[in-house]
Amino acid sequence: MAEINPKYLELDKEMRERNLDESTPVSLLEDVKQKGRVWDDLCEEYGVDNPDPPWRITLEATCDMLAGGYWETFNVCKPKEERNPEEEEKKLDAVERRWEEDKLVEKYYEQIPFPERQLLALAHTLIRRGLFDEEELARRMEEVDQRLNSA
Amino acid sequence: MAEKHKPAPMVEEVSEFEVLEIAVRELAIEKGLFTAEDHQRWTEYMHTLGPLPAARLVAKAWLDPEFKKLAVEDGVKASLEVGIDWVNSMPTHFGTPSDYCNLRVLEDTPKLKHVVVCTLCSCYPRPILGQSPEWYRTPNYRRRLVRWPRQVLAEFGLQLPDDVEVRVEDSNQKSRFIVLPVRPEGTEGWSEDQLAEIVTRDCLIGVATPKPGKTANDPRPVRPAVNPYHH
Amino acid sequence: MSKPHYDREHHVKKATGIGDPQCFKGEAGPPKFKVGDKVRVRDLPDIFYSRTQVYTRGAEATVAELVYESPAPEDEAWDNTENVVWFYSLIFKQKDLWPDYPDAFANDTLETELPERWLEPL
Repeated sequence: MAEINPKYLELDKEMRERNLDESTPVSLLEDVKQKGRVWDDLCEEYGVDNPDPPWRITLEATCDMLAGGYWETFNVCKPKEERNPEEEEKKLDAVERRWEEDKLVEKYYEQIPFPERQLLALAHTLIRRGLFDEEELARRMEEVDQRLNSA
Repeated sequence: MAEKHKPAPMVEEVSEFEVLEIAVRELAIEKGLFTAEDHQRWTEYMHTLGPLPAARLVAKAWLDPEFKKLAVEDGVKASLEVGIDWVNSMPTHFGTPSDYCNLRVLEDTPKLKHVVVCTLCSCYPRPILGQSPEWYRTPNYRRRLVRWPRQVLAEFGLQLPDDVEVRVEDSNQKSRFIVLPVRPEGTEGWSEDQLAEIVTRDCLIGVATPKPGKTANDPRPVRPAVNPYHH
Repeated sequence: MSKPHYDREHHVKKATGIGDPQCFKGEAGPPKFKVGDKVRVRDLPDIFYSRTQVYTRGAEATVAELVYESPAPEDEAWDNTENVVWFYSLIFKQKDLWPDYPDAFANDTLETELPERWLEPL
């Protein structure tokens, strides 16, 4: 193997020290978790047998899109001075996201079925990373809810 | 008349989860993480995916020894005959990190049974098999299959004789895998369509074997680990 | 796509219309191992990113196939695509990976792919 770039060692340490145990519950998502009706329940009530909710594929697409340029790894693995805070920070590599999804589900969303848990974990991840905050998401959910339910 | 055109039942309720999905997507678009057009194009592409092309590939291989040879030697080329172009079908024309363009078709024999897992994340041959099922993504399956394959397969209802070699394929790099199971007895004289119907997604992952009359996957409750899964 | 945000990626340009790993074909030079060779997986340090599973480290395996040429994930993760290597499909005896694997199933195997730099001859 080629000689190890000391920068990479530093970044490696940064990654290893990142600890999800310091994560906290998000009360908005806890609310959704408590009150939200999961797809299995809705199917039973309405006599529908589609195994997946209509939004499963759009959620998958969102995850793929968040990986951004597809071939880019998550920004944190680049040396700090090479990161572009405008663009690069926004990318969320798939392996990284899946790792965090597993951790968050284990800690907060274990009792929620899939794909609802994938969605909760993704929202949690994006809030943790500061892409939007809880209030902003709550406001937007209210708007979407009014749009869809007032017609 | 009216009865004939009765629509399929629909869920007439927007759940909090559906609202959350839309809100997350809209915020991500507004913050410039990706564009609405890109998202829509990708979603449309993903809606076209499913396990049928892979099932057809297996059925063709069962019927045509030459095609079987091609499938085992060059899965990407063989995929073209079932309508899947690994390179150009995707809107990107080059794949994604989860969808590299190297399909390997793993041929079972009466003495060799393949089963696929990705222990590192959950790599899956999406272009030819669609979205992975939930259980495939769970840490439980990913960690335990490599360690206790026979026990995990038994939980899926697949008991294999001692003298059959179980080969776990850990999909860790750029190849993606489907299993080419042994053609079951009782399918003599069947057409390609009939054969393709019994090649379910689970048969293609390797946790089930095809059987005449069985055209659907069994429900797979996600189980807690029986054995510890650290190693 | 309407906004080619991956345009900066030289290896994506390289892969478009050709595919990855196909776009690295012919760049790795002569392979060090051939089908049937016995090898051992090296226990190299993990630097942030690797796709060499911990359970394979130090284990013996047999080369089943030379699958393709590609940069190793350790390099690709840093956007370094200059060092293209051969990838091998390897077959391990389960018994060699897990010492307590039941003797009754001594024939059971595990197959996985690794880049050349992780392998040493036996």
